[in-house]
Amino acid sequence: MHIDHTILEKLEKLSHLQVAESKKTEIIKQLSEIVNYIENLNELDTDHLDASFSTLEGGTPMRDDIVATSPKVGKNILSHAPRHEDGFFVVPAIIE
Amino acid sequence: MITLKEALSKTPQEISEIRDQIMATAKANDLNAYIGFETADDGIPILMKDNIQVKDWSVTSGSKILQGYIAPYNATVVEKMQEKGFVPFGRANMDEFAMGSTTESSYYGITKNPHDTSRVPGGSSGGSAAAVAAGLAIAALGSDTGGSVRQPAAYCGVVGFKPTYGRVSRYGLAAYASSLDQIGTITQTVEDAAILYDAIKGHDPKDSTSAEFEIEDIANNLDIDRTLTIAVIDNYISEADDDIQKAYAFAVEKLKEAGHTIIHKEMTNTKYDIATYYIVATAEAATNLARFDGIRYGRQAENVKNLQELYFKSRSEGFGEEVKRRILLGNFVLSSGYYDAYYLKAQKVRHLIQDEFNVIFDEADMILSPVAPSVAPKIGTSSDPLEMYKSDMYTIAINLAGLPALSLPIMKNDDGMPIGLQLIGKAFNDKVVFDAAASLERAVKYKSN
Repeated sequence: MHIDHTILEKLEKLSHLQVAESKKTEIIKQLSEIVNYIENLNELDTDHLDASFSTLEGGTPMRDDIVATSPKVGKNILSHAPRHEDGFFVVPAIIE
Repeated sequence: MITLKEALSKTPQEISEIRDQIMATAKANDLNAYIGFETADDGIPILMKDNIQVKDWSVTSGSKILQGYIAPYNATVVEKMQEKGFVPFGRANMDEFAMGSTTESSYYGITKNPHDTSRVPGGSSGGSAAAVAAGLAIAALGSDTGGSVRQPAAYCGVVGFKPTYGRVSRYGLAAYASSLDQIGTITQTVEDAAILYDAIKGHDPKDSTSAEFEIEDIANNLDIDRTLTIAVIDNYISEADDDIQKAYAFAVEKLKEAGHTIIHKEMTNTKYDIATYYIVATAEAATNLARFDGIRYGRQAENVKNLQELYFKSRSEGFGEEVKRRILLGNFVLSSGYYDAYYLKAQKVRHLIQDEFNVIFDEADMILSPVAPSVAPKIGTSSDPLEMYKSDMYTIAINLAGLPALSLPIMKNDDGMPIGLQLIGKAFNDKVVFDAAASLERAVKYKSN
């Protein structure tokens, strides 16, 4: 599979990343090489196998919905956030 | 440097003097193993990889995007360590977000290998391994997602232990690939690894993948004379450099002399492990790293017009090349139209990898394997991403199957570079790995100098 400019553009959008124009050719080449390599898995027959996988027996445990984190943590994160005001994160205006 | 075992018998006054000495030596050293000299309480100092939360420390995963972030709580391993008198002391350099095999992708610059400063220390826990090897730390914590504790330990001639998945809480470890990440230890000896692992292991309700198990004191119950059946994987060895093959043959002889039974096995080509790993790990990384938006923590881009631009600019400026490459690849394998062919396919192959290990463990207690196909490469020679991924061939299957493995130094090559090998155990048989490793350590008599 060849990663082309259209796919890269889609991946940039999904990833919220911009690849510099000068780097695009290089990253397309690298991603294409990696994708071609990982396609070696097509040599394996996996039709009979489960698509979910866990190394832990019994899967993810259920627990009571009880707050276990200190309320101070939230305040602490806010106090170190790039911009905050009145207990909220500040972002650029969404509606003009 | 004194061992962790020796540190346990020191008085608080003596420990305090040792801490001052480590701090002074580490600050004067130019390996760039330490990227921060933060300290917490009094106690036996343990160097922390820069992705483990220590309350009120700047903890940045070696990334520009986390500049300015201050950890609001302690990782569970930190709380547990402190109960035993071990305290966080300094931050170790690492590949950005633990994505790399050389520690060259850190925002803080490269770390040098203490055995040859023109070579890398390995990665991603390169700072932790280089510091322990250079006598700049008694012991360190790292994290191992695809070999990131074991491989730098092997390159630097120290002991690296990756526990069974679920044995050590991941609460407070910056997530790279959640189904593969485990916090591990980097120490001078196998016994020290057991002491530090004993201190940090245990069930944690804050980590839903943490396993419930009976706590057993490994360090004080090491059974060094226990004889085991150890499998060697013949077709793996032929792909490694001559130096590694020589060390492997030497270790096998020593294990036989120590009374262990060696059996010969083959495993499927490692190319499938590499492919599976780079699908699963990047898919999980793309998801985990979506949280870094420049708004809630870390560094925010300036001069932006709107929210979209804030996201794009903060992430594009904040992440380095390798992290970007893995996020793009992860979003590719997860995206509509490709999800079944890549991501689900890889999840299925994990069953095959696990089954293959289980077949060997029907007959063997342990597998002896190389850690890397060569000794530590020269700085600047690992620029091709796919070639770097391929060098993880011996370590990643262990993470994909969730197994415990310990890397320990065996000998040095003619250039004086350490060669490590790893012992791989059955899931939740971490104790047996330590028994075998202690036996091998005694048999090979590796000298760091």
